[in-house]
Amino acid sequence: MNKFKIAWRNLWRNKRRTMITVASIFFGVLISTIMSSLQDGTYGNMIDMMVKLSSGYLQVQHSKYQENKSINNAFSPTKEMLEEIRSVDKVTSVSQRLESFALMSSGPNTRGGALIGFEPDKDKQTSNLQNWMHKGRFLKKGDNGILLSYNIARHLGMEVNDTLVLISQGYHGVTAAGIYPVKGILKFATPQLNNIGVFMDISTAQEFYSAYEMVSSLMIMVDGYADVQRAEKKLDEITNEDHAVLTWQELNPEMVQFLKSDKAGAVVMKAILYIIIGFGIFGTIIMMVAERRRELGVMIAVGMQKIKLSLILFYETILIGVIGVITGFIASIPVIFILVEKPIPLPDELADAYLQYGFEPYLFFGTASPVFINQVITVFIITLIISLYPVFKVKNLKVTNALRA
Amino acid sequence: MIWSVSWRNVWRNKTRSMVIITAIALGVFAGVYTIAFMFGWINQRINAVINTEISHIQVHHPEYIETNDAHDYIPDIKTIQSAAENKTQVKAASSRVLSTCMISSAETGSGLQLVGINPEKEQQVTNLHEKLIEGNYFEETKKNQLVIGKKLADKLKVKLRSKVVVTLTEMDGTLTGGAFRITGIYQTANSEYDERKAFVRASDLKNLIKIDENAGHELAILLNENNMEQKVADQLKAEFSNLEVMSWLEIMPDMKMMNESMNLMMYIFVVIILLALGFGIVNTMLMVILERIKEIGMLMAIGMNKVRIFTMIVLETIYLSLTGGVIGIALAVVLTAITGKTGLNLSLWAEGLNSLGFDAVIYPEIGFDAVIVVTLLVILTGVIAAIYPARKAIKLKPADALRIEM
Repeated sequence: MNKFKIAWRNLWRNKRRTMITVASIFFGVLISTIMSSLQDGTYGNMIDMMVKLSSGYLQVQHSKYQENKSINNAFSPTKEMLEEIRSVDKVTSVSQRLESFALMSSGPNTRGGALIGFEPDKDKQTSNLQNWMHKGRFLKKGDNGILLSYNIARHLGMEVNDTLVLISQGYHGVTAAGIYPVKGILKFATPQLNNIGVFMDISTAQEFYSAYEMVSSLMIMVDGYADVQRAEKKLDEITNEDHAVLTWQELNPEMVQFLKSDKAGAVVMKAILYIIIGFGIFGTIIMMVAERRRELGVMIAVGMQKIKLSLILFYETILIGVIGVITGFIASIPVIFILVEKPIPLPDELADAYLQYGFEPYLFFGTASPVFINQVITVFIITLIISLYPVFKVKNLKVTNALRA
Repeated sequence: MIWSVSWRNVWRNKTRSMVIITAIALGVFAGVYTIAFMFGWINQRINAVINTEISHIQVHHPEYIETNDAHDYIPDIKTIQSAAENKTQVKAASSRVLSTCMISSAETGSGLQLVGINPEKEQQVTNLHEKLIEGNYFEETKKNQLVIGKKLADKLKVKLRSKVVVTLTEMDGTLTGGAFRITGIYQTANSEYDERKAFVRASDLKNLIKIDENAGHELAILLNENNMEQKVADQLKAEFSNLEVMSWLEIMPDMKMMNESMNLMMYIFVVIILLALGFGIVNTMLMVILERIKEIGMLMAIGMNKVRIFTMIVLETIYLSLTGGVIGIALAVVLTAITGKTGLNLSLWAEGLNSLGFDAVIYPEIGFDAVIVVTLLVILTGVIAAIYPARKAIKLKPADALRIEM
């Protein structure tokens, strides 16, 4: 305890020196937190965009649907089940979808495409189709009209208020056919999506396929990708073995691979940053020891055991590390929250491209707890490793030389 | 004079200088190599787009891109082809007949775009014939040969010499079918492309859909050099105002976005590294000043003016950062040269990368301008980082500084 006290007093003997060393650790924590937060934010935002456009964070499906996407593998969720899913922590929206294929026909032209029954009133939280309205108006709940994707509409020569014939195979082989008015036309930024097909209200789709009360999937959105795992566990408890709970990773395996390669790049970048920070701290510690060579020599000359002296220096470095890490952590919180509140806008040219695709043109920062905690731990470990340097330096100190320094 | 004083100061405490130089060298190395990596990556993608998928310029009927309808064809594509080929910037042009169809094997079916080509011309425009992993690229004179992508072959569970049936509509709307034999399987870095496109002789496809001999849907034009596409496209637009002439950037607008956002991330990374380095340098230099208070006091006392002391410290910092920077850049250039030859294998994530059209083996390359920019940034970081410590130094009062207890 005594040594600890001495170490503490030593720190304040030369305040400037201590402050400089603390500052090197402080900035280390601050910069690595900003970098991690940026990576976390970009990553989260990327997943969020991709997930919204494709599958939702989680889906509950019939256990066979993922292998065989047939209308026969639809299921009917009970009211209680839907209620239970909605009440799961962090779930922001649950929307029902019924998807299959259909032939679309108008006059001499026929074309195949997807038929997607969705809940228009929940669209904002999920796929946000409203964003892509080109002509006409968006569907209302229970609407009997349809929305057509741009290329399909062109190919079939359809305009708003024209009627379209849909033919398909319904649930368990029933023939599905119907005439529907076109309420609107969707034009997406991604050309492939413009060929997708027809969107209609889920109840109309259920009627069309004679799949009353049935859905092919429940699309579930949660707050962010960090909440998916916990929600998945809860959903597994709610559903039975006839249902499969799939996460966005299982629904989009190729996208996950891309994200993994992206994340590997991020890890490499962070490793480089840590090395640079480590060297920065190391530099100041070396100077600290070099400056005190004479003092240390005197201590040993008057009879202080080297081991005790090493321990005092070790404590000093640790204390500096603790102060630096804590102040860095405290300072990083407001910085990150300001960046989260006021995300940095992208340069103009890029911003235009982002907007065109319906993405928000900002650099996003994340606030997942590892963003903060990991930096504190990592930088502290770096400091711990560096604190071995003074210990060795004292061990190899030649008193006669040191006294003359 | 002051130059050499600063340079000697750098080497007074070798361990300290080596540590900060190592840190700078590592940071700069990482920054430059990342730039080389990204640059190579994007360039490979652009090259694939130009040499395999799209070529520099494509000409279509104005409606075709949106409808993909076989009726939106160019009646006299041969004239346009020869007009394009007569231009000096144009290396080669290939006209194609396109048809969206269903392809089915004994196992299963899939939708795809059938591209009817003239193999001799096509080889001058695209390098797809180099991407064959099995079979030949239309070498024999047999009819109804089909070259398909590996991804589609796997999906259909077909092999070389398997027979497949394509179902498509003739020009008058009648549904018709044709049997083709697979004579070649190709694989590009873009698995989506491999799944979507299959190639046949234009004559076979023309017979099948009963389209006019001189008609075609698409004219792909390869130029002698990159960056000329907009100019040539504008010329063609003026000549053939009734057709849609598009450069590859217009056909794939997302390429531009991808390119730019990667650039942005790269620069942010470099800036963060330099920021971390900057703080490291500031701290080290502050320590240096602290250590030399007495000495600086002495220098002032014997008449060295403030400007010189300031310059001395700034120069010392610049020496430190420049030495580190040069070492870092040299290492990065060497590693880029090595990996540029051998390639950097990311096949761990091949599927994900290929699904987005990226190669899994990346060949980093670096431009001279990037090296210059990084060098300037490193010097700038050194100068900025030196200002605060140097100001501290010149604010010292010689009388106090001399008497300080070290």
